[in-house]
Amino acid sequence: MKPNLGLVFFPAFDWMISPTHPERQERLLYTRDQLVEEGIFDLPQIREYKPRLATLNDLERVHIGVPQLSQLITPAHLVSAGSCLTAADAVMRGEVKRSFALVRPPGHHAMRVVHGIRGFCVINIEAILVSYLRKTYGVKRIAIVDTDVHHGDGSQDIFYHDPDTLYISFHQDGRTLYPGTGFPNEAGSPGAFGTTINLPLLPGTGDAGIHRLFDGLIKPLLDDFAPEIVINSAGQDNHFSDPLASMAVTAQGYASLADKLQADIAVLEGGYSVEAALPYVNTGIILAMAELDYSQVIEPDQSALRPQPAACMARVEQLISEVGQLWQNRAILSKKALAQAQGSWSRQKNIYYDEEGINETQIETVHYCKECRGYLTWQSTATNTRFGNQNAFIVSVEPTSCPHCREQARAEALQAKSCNQWQYVLLQDQLTGVIENI
Amino acid sequence: MLLGIDVGGTFTDAVLIADGAIVQQAKVATTQEQILTGILQALDSVLTQQSVAAIERVVISSTLVTNTLAEGKNAPVFLAVMPGPGMSTVGKFPVTPEVLTGYIDHRGQVITAPALEPERLKLNLEARVAAVSGKFAVRNPVNEQKVVAQLAPLGFEKIFSGSELSGELNFVRRTNSAYFAATVYEAFKTFATQVERSMAERKITAPLQVLKADGGTLPLAAALTQPVEAIFTGPAASVLGIEALGAPTLDAISLDVGGTTTDIAFWQNGKPLLAPKGAQVAGYNTAVRSFYLRSVGIGGDSLVTRVADVLQVGPQRSGKAMALGGAAPTLTDALLVAGLVTFGNGIAALAAMEQLTEPGETPQQVARRIIATATQTLATTITAMLKDWRVQPVYTVNDIMNGTPFEPQLLIGVGGGAPGLVTQLGQELQLPVQIPSGAMVANAVGAALARPTLTGTLRADTTEGFYSIPEAGLRKRLPATLQREQAEAILKSWLLTAAQRWQMPTQDVETLSYEEFFTLHDSYTTGKIITLKMQLQPGILHKITGREVAF
Repeated sequence: MKPNLGLVFFPAFDWMISPTHPERQERLLYTRDQLVEEGIFDLPQIREYKPRLATLNDLERVHIGVPQLSQLITPAHLVSAGSCLTAADAVMRGEVKRSFALVRPPGHHAMRVVHGIRGFCVINIEAILVSYLRKTYGVKRIAIVDTDVHHGDGSQDIFYHDPDTLYISFHQDGRTLYPGTGFPNEAGSPGAFGTTINLPLLPGTGDAGIHRLFDGLIKPLLDDFAPEIVINSAGQDNHFSDPLASMAVTAQGYASLADKLQADIAVLEGGYSVEAALPYVNTGIILAMAELDYSQVIEPDQSALRPQPAACMARVEQLISEVGQLWQNRAILSKKALAQAQGSWSRQKNIYYDEEGINETQIETVHYCKECRGYLTWQSTATNTRFGNQNAFIVSVEPTSCPHCREQARAEALQAKSCNQWQYVLLQDQLTGVIENI
Repeated sequence: MLLGIDVGGTFTDAVLIADGAIVQQAKVATTQEQILTGILQALDSVLTQQSVAAIERVVISSTLVTNTLAEGKNAPVFLAVMPGPGMSTVGKFPVTPEVLTGYIDHRGQVITAPALEPERLKLNLEARVAAVSGKFAVRNPVNEQKVVAQLAPLGFEKIFSGSELSGELNFVRRTNSAYFAATVYEAFKTFATQVERSMAERKITAPLQVLKADGGTLPLAAALTQPVEAIFTGPAASVLGIEALGAPTLDAISLDVGGTTTDIAFWQNGKPLLAPKGAQVAGYNTAVRSFYLRSVGIGGDSLVTRVADVLQVGPQRSGKAMALGGAAPTLTDALLVAGLVTFGNGIAALAAMEQLTEPGETPQQVARRIIATATQTLATTITAMLKDWRVQPVYTVNDIMNGTPFEPQLLIGVGGGAPGLVTQLGQELQLPVQIPSGAMVANAVGAALARPTLTGTLRADTTEGFYSIPEAGLRKRLPATLQREQAEAILKSWLLTAAQRWQMPTQDVETLSYEEFFTLHDSYTTGKIITLKMQLQPGILHKITGREVAF
């Protein structure tokens, strides 16, 4: 009998951002204790995997680090990214039905261009997973459901122009929580309009709210998009005891959501109630994904749990209706926006790296092509990085980029180099993960 | 002088060791109904009146109690568990337990006290022994202790609690350990009594110890408090025997080729590797520490059959090889015909091979094919063991980047069929082979030389202000600051006191694992959690030079 769940557990007991940071060694200690004490790793329905190390190329198929990604990461990042690849292999080779990379460090705030740590993240492990699934297994349509309480602005950034990746995030409203983004109007660039779905919820939303949202909107969208693979960015900070957020979801709420979703691959993101929530939420998710009884997984202390205010459900209903409509009309809206764009589309972003106090200003441009997906350019200026103030002109070609676009992209890089305005001119090939210093 | 006795399902072996060498050895048939008779016979073969007085210690290992489990002769047990909220425990234990309320959380805090109403319990009146186990009892034994105290007046002969049998996390495994300790208790007591009587009848007064699955020994009286540790010792004895006869310093794989099975173990830095989790007993996961070991149903007495062109070796066994007077062809017959062993009747072995030979083949060719089939099965198991060992998860970046991989460079063969079979396997795996002399009685040698051992776990939570040593059923107040050295001193002193209590020699205490985490509350460090595991070093007292004797 093939196990229902492949579990890659890597608590990184010797990795931290700083001794009193929420991302410290102890974060998954109590979870380890609970899982071992329950006997989870002995279950025939679960197979535990040892993570492998991702390569720098695996990372650089997604990210462009300035000055270099290798100077920004630690070995722990190679393990947490590698864990996702191990989880992918387990499923794609048919060894297990689905898998869960219960690992640190997390990744969903890391954007494509990286100057340092933001939102506890340096590299986006889900994006690295997606790129690996495409390259190694030829998977095309992928959906990511992000159940972390924070908006996954890094994942949104990376998949904003990709119509084959449906990124759905529900989170506490950005007006009340880091990183402050994630509203329904951030729906994707013209060529991928409607495949970024943001569902900001009011503080206090609990099990009833997120389940109504899942049943009423997320599930129908997933059914309609018909992805080959569903990934869950399984953050756990919607829990009522989380110290960094203000939601009211329980371990049962998370476990039954995991049961309904039955993602092919789940990846841990945030969740900082390390004693009162994580041991129980993880036990619940694992049992649900392993198709075992999770009904008795209940936090011993629910005294901090408050009933969900009525306004929360009203917001959920509003989102179901408005975003549902946007989804229905996405093809027409995308066509219209593309026609307006006339060959290229740009946006300016101001990106703050909370961990290091870096301010980055970025102009990102999508260059459209009739033959292919085109290519991307960034003009990035960052102040106060560990390498001082720095700027870069970056060009990136996609696996599908046609020969003409590849030539065009290189020409732009050479031109940027010749104007002597940029410290770094970098050319990324997303197919090979090779970054050329022009 | 050291006396080692191994009571196996077929043979009872005894060895006498003096001045680093085997001075006497014997192999007699095990007498199943009255094992006393077999033990006495073995004793009489190795002892003289002079040597009796010189015996310093007797260690006994046996698979007999394990065999009662294999035969399904489990004594009834009253099993009470406190699983609290969490994973369902339905079907996890060998018997349906009485589920009590009562819950301890992962930090060792009592969330709910146990509510036991003895008069309302559906007590299994047949059960003379009981087992009690609670989730996270290793973090705080108080709930288990309350239940044990409440059960005490009900007249059980013995009550085992999970956290005293193992300080490791894993509620299901500890519960099963407690159950198996309880169910074999009376059988083990009978065994112990018979062993004591045999010693008394031969006027042996030296301390009597039994071997555990992790290769350490325990005084017989102490073993009665944890009989589950002593029921799984046959393979452990052979592993220790190999250590005594010449432990490899290279990464190595040992094969103990017995009559029915071959036991395979791994070696690194001169020590056998321990299984990362506990042993399986009768198909259930337990917390019993044991070597990383696998048994394959291939041995010298394995029956060889042929269906069309397929030759099958084992797992059934025949009485003995035709070369040794048996009735059906065995692996030993094939080894003799192929010239890989030299004992037994060559003509009878040839006749055995001829039974399996088809027109156009020679008996030698068939013998070669049989051996190839057997070594193939062993190679497959070794490959699987290597793979399982390599994929063992680790939880720190350092272990991933700098872990010590296991890369075998040597095969070691012991047991009757070893010279032929393991030599052949070595050629196949392209590894050199060592066959230490004295290998025929490795089990008894291992038992004779095993060191006494005890394991203890200390868990300290300075925020809470308590530490506990579950194996001692102990929970005590703690100074606010606790350094590693103090924690080690506390645990070491408990281990040494316990060792003295059982009159065990107090040799080196080693630290097995140490974990330290700072705990935070609202971004302030409030204390730390220390988990420490130490043991009286197991292993062998000293190495010996073996010698081969024909039986």
